[in-house]
Amino acid sequence: MSAIIEIANKIFQPLIDLGAAPMMTIVLTLIALIFKVKPSRALEGGLKLGIAITGIGAIIDMLTNSFSQAMADFVERTGLSLNITDVGWAPLATITWGSPYTLYFLLVLVIVNVIMLIWKKTNTLDVDIFDVWHLAFVGLFAIWAGANLLIATALVIFIGIFKIINSDLMKPTFNDLLDAPDNNPMTTTHMNYMMNPIIMVFDKIFDKIFPWLDKYDFDAAKLNNKVGFWGSKFAIGIYLGIFVGLLAGQTPTEIFELSFTAAVSLELFSLIGQWFIDSIEPLSQGITDFASKRLKGRTLNIGLDWPFLAGRAEIWAAANILAPIMLLEAIVLPGNYLLPLGGIIAMGVTPALLVVTRGRIIRMIVIGAIELPVFLWAGTLAAPFVTNMAKNIGAFPEGVASNQLISQTTMEGPMEKFLGYLVGNASQGEIEFIIYAALALIAYLLIFMWYRREMNKRNAAYAAEKAEE
Amino acid sequence: MIKILAACGAGVNSSHQIKSALENEMKKRGYQVSVDTTMIKDINQDKLEHYDIFTQIANSNLGFEINIPVVDAGPILYRIPTMAEPVYQELEDTIKKLGKK
Repeated sequence: MSAIIEIANKIFQPLIDLGAAPMMTIVLTLIALIFKVKPSRALEGGLKLGIAITGIGAIIDMLTNSFSQAMADFVERTGLSLNITDVGWAPLATITWGSPYTLYFLLVLVIVNVIMLIWKKTNTLDVDIFDVWHLAFVGLFAIWAGANLLIATALVIFIGIFKIINSDLMKPTFNDLLDAPDNNPMTTTHMNYMMNPIIMVFDKIFDKIFPWLDKYDFDAAKLNNKVGFWGSKFAIGIYLGIFVGLLAGQTPTEIFELSFTAAVSLELFSLIGQWFIDSIEPLSQGITDFASKRLKGRTLNIGLDWPFLAGRAEIWAAANILAPIMLLEAIVLPGNYLLPLGGIIAMGVTPALLVVTRGRIIRMIVIGAIELPVFLWAGTLAAPFVTNMAKNIGAFPEGVASNQLISQTTMEGPMEKFLGYLVGNASQGEIEFIIYAALALIAYLLIFMWYRREMNKRNAAYAAEKAEE
Repeated sequence: MIKILAACGAGVNSSHQIKSALENEMKKRGYQVSVDTTMIKDINQDKLEHYDIFTQIANSNLGFEINIPVVDAGPILYRIPTMAEPVYQELEDTIKKLGKK
């Protein structure tokens, strides 16, 4: 093993020395070529990844530079130690895609998916290549916490299998929520739905104790319409600038500067998010062509990104209501050092709530509020790792104090982040961590098995309904 | 020029796949289309008025009546040409009905 790593290092070291953007341009282009993508398309994708990595670095620079002094004052004056900046999903995705390990984990997961399809353990072909970064993040986190590549790979495969099984389990619910016919192949392997088992525990408690709350459900679409631009990215940037600026005791001029910088950063983050989604595009098509060519004649479900459910207004109504709740929780939650900013619209949280509760909005909000601390703690736990990774790819500003950390408040898969951390530390041989990691993995497995049983019951009920019609 | 609005959850991934697929395919078919992408939650009536066609991934409840033609573009995301074909056809038919060039 170590000999292989040594050889790999010899080959890759000159590449790594080039810096993240050129390195990933080369690596992504080569991998796309392996999947028989046209050379010009492959290079286009590679270059776009390079500019996305460079661009996201520049904006993180801008955001943290302008916020670092205000944050320091904010912490000093209020005594609240919320000194980790929440940059939202786009920088985290870009930073994660800036690691060649992410492409390695992608390859492993494609193989896992194909094997599961061949052995008929699933009907889902995962074509959502881009979102592999969520699981790659867990693997990278485990490595950072001390795991070797083998153990990290095993963890990624373990969770990856559950993700694919979960996409099969959820399929009838998607048809129900979208009012779609049986031949609609849409499903998703997105990691935010790995919160389903936990949410289901609370949903069952609701069934037993508070079923009367459901009658207060309201029209989510109307609420969203009323919220209008007040819930948009730039508006949130403005609020946060004002909030931090006021509590940091800044002058109006400084507060405006902070607000507009935050608003611009949030807008630009999602703009640059588009560049690197474009960059993965040729590879995604290459992998899909490859996989579907070899599975001719099978009727497959197709695993997409989560947003095909985004047309359900409850997702946004719940996210709008959870945003201020999260801000309050962040302030009072012990052990949280993250100030919600880029991730405050809780897109990583609400789709799973929709699936489990099937759109009962009051339940979505209450259960969402209960589970948000898990996201805040996981984001806090991962902050040193995220910051370190950002530094490695050159996306961290030099002018900012080294104790200034970045992370995300509502990142998909908080449970998996804890697993990555525990498994990584356990790999160092500390007995305490080995016990924790083992217990966590067993708990994760058991709760998923229970969830699977419950979903199978739900799916049988759907099937019975269909049969009656 | 036909203006199309594509929407998805974050306004970056799925809607972008739809954007590039529609722009490429419609160009091949001889139509000039321009596709903008957006987060589905940011759509309001004013915004939709600036577009000729709205492409959604699945049924969308926006909280108001949509007054422009809606084309379901979800199958483009399956990345399988035969499944995307009906979407292109429906879009072409819709464009013809609008009578725009």
